Amino acid sequence: MLVYAVSFEAVLGLEFWIGVAVLAGTYGIFALGLQLNVGFTGILNFGQAGFMALGAYAMGILVADVGWSFWLALPVATLIAMAAGVFIGLPSLRLRADYFAIVTIAFAETIRYTAQNARELTGGNQGLLGFDNEWAEISIAMQDALGNVGLGEYFLLPLAIVTWILFGVLVIVLRRLTRSPWGRVLRAIREDEDAAAALGKNTLSYKLQSLAIAAALGAIAGYLLALNLSFINPFQFEPLLTFIGYAVLVLGGLASYVGVAVGAVVLWTLLEATRSLDLPLAAEQIAAVRFMLVGLALILLMAFRPQGALGKREEMVLGDQ
Amino acid sequence: MTSEAPAPRDSILEVEGVFKHFGGINAVNGATLDVGRGSITGLIGPNGAGKTTLFNLITGFIRPDRGRIVYDGESIFRHRPHRIASRGMVRTFQITKALSAMSVLDNMMLAGPDQPGERLPSLVMRPGRARTREKEVHEEALELLDTFGLAQKGDDYAGTLSGGQRKLLELARALMMQPRTVLLDEPMAGVNPTLGRRLLAHMQQLREERGTTFLFIEHDMEAVMNHSDRVIVMAQGEVIADGPPAEVRRDQRVIDAYLGDPGVAA
Repeated sequence: MLVYAVSFEAVLGLEFWIGVAVLAGTYGIFALGLQLNVGFTGILNFGQAGFMALGAYAMGILVADVGWSFWLALPVATLIAMAAGVFIGLPSLRLRADYFAIVTIAFAETIRYTAQNARELTGGNQGLLGFDNEWAEISIAMQDALGNVGLGEYFLLPLAIVTWILFGVLVIVLRRLTRSPWGRVLRAIREDEDAAAALGKNTLSYKLQSLAIAAALGAIAGYLLALNLSFINPFQFEPLLTFIGYAVLVLGGLASYVGVAVGAVVLWTLLEATRSLDLPLAAEQIAAVRFMLVGLALILLMAFRPQGALGKREEMVLGDQ
Repeated sequence: MTSEAPAPRDSILEVEGVFKHFGGINAVNGATLDVGRGSITGLIGPNGAGKTTLFNLITGFIRPDRGRIVYDGESIFRHRPHRIASRGMVRTFQITKALSAMSVLDNMMLAGPDQPGERLPSLVMRPGRARTREKEVHEEALELLDTFGLAQKGDDYAGTLSGGQRKLLELARALMMQPRTVLLDEPMAGVNPTLGRRLLAHMQQLREERGTTFLFIEHDMEAVMNHSDRVIVMAQGEVIADGPPAEVRRDQRVIDAYLGDPGVAA
């Protein structure tokens, strides 16, 4: 029945898929950070939306309010997000995993409420505008170039391309890092922190590094989201986002970066395709149905492929011992 | 124990008047002991005597309330576990901590010391050095796995090993660190006799070849009595006897401590 309810013109158009690509790539990068934390280090970071918000706002404020160049603001905002990761992690990563998770949620909400209320700096609920002129120039140039191959009419295509190139580069870097001796220490901490400490590893330091890198990835996702929407607004950074990131991990499989790509594309295809559901329901009911469908997909996955698309079943089963 | 002039023995580890209370329980109640350099010392005592807690206090996994712990001439009192391990005193755990979802070889290589690739800056700036060290560590790991009869298991997940093999892996992994002192918490428990003998033989061999010091908690009295130079006995958080195996065996306080657990001290 649902098949008839989806309007196909919307779903089959290239425009739809470009939109999905931007969102999936953005939240894919967001979830790469979670993958590093959860899949490779075993720390439950529930505050990724906070790092995303912090990165996006830091960039937006530096460009729109302070007047910096967008290109200078990017690395500085990334460093700010990383410093926040260390600042949050230093006292809380000594705690047990579940307490740390609570602290990170609180952190993310603190950032969001601050953004909502520090109106002079952030524009409050009105949001922050005017930080993307430098990107717009590039985007238009890219769109012109794409026009030569007949793809000039898609406004978001340049961002989709940049997002996925970035995603690819980040996956390559992260894979090299996690396959290195450094990554081996992270995995050891995931398996058993005491064992790693008994072998002379400063586990707190490694967990902080993992969190700081995840924060940087969250910030990068924040820039992409800001460029996608052309404004930054507190509602974009609800805690729900972090859990969408976790859904991506579950779909794609733990400890797999390519799995993150798969999970992100599947999830955002589902979320965006069901947006055009044509059911005799109120708009907010349709919105709820979208998440019911995502939930159903996750339940089916748990039943038939608990390790996710690309996760390793052995690691999942053995990891619990 | 009365206060005497410093022990004539060359001690690598000195523990003096260490206390640890959990709620109302004095888990370790002023334990004092020292471990001779290059010795094999057995640590025994009835269940609940505080042996494992004492290990945790020495290796930094639990913070002692008060006391003095000196390793190789320097205080390690309340130091964090990784710092103590880095100084060359490595421990194993009563319940093995094999890193289950990692391969046996990765378990071993993790413990290889001085790997510059474990630090992000040097990993990124000088990847060649990390690779070179990785090759060396790989060689050492294969050699040790071979010694411990685990050579065929290198690529298996550590979680697929039997209980006894995990004990061996944990000891082999500790040895990857080239420690000067190894603290073993019930290395023989759950290990079949053949593997157990192999483990004890390794201990003896390492002591002779490298002068490694061993302190081990064990309930297998035969193993303790036949393989230790000295035996330390704990009961109710205190050290109640300390001496050569034959002497400790006859000590009335030890016999009393084990009453109610008669099968063990016989």
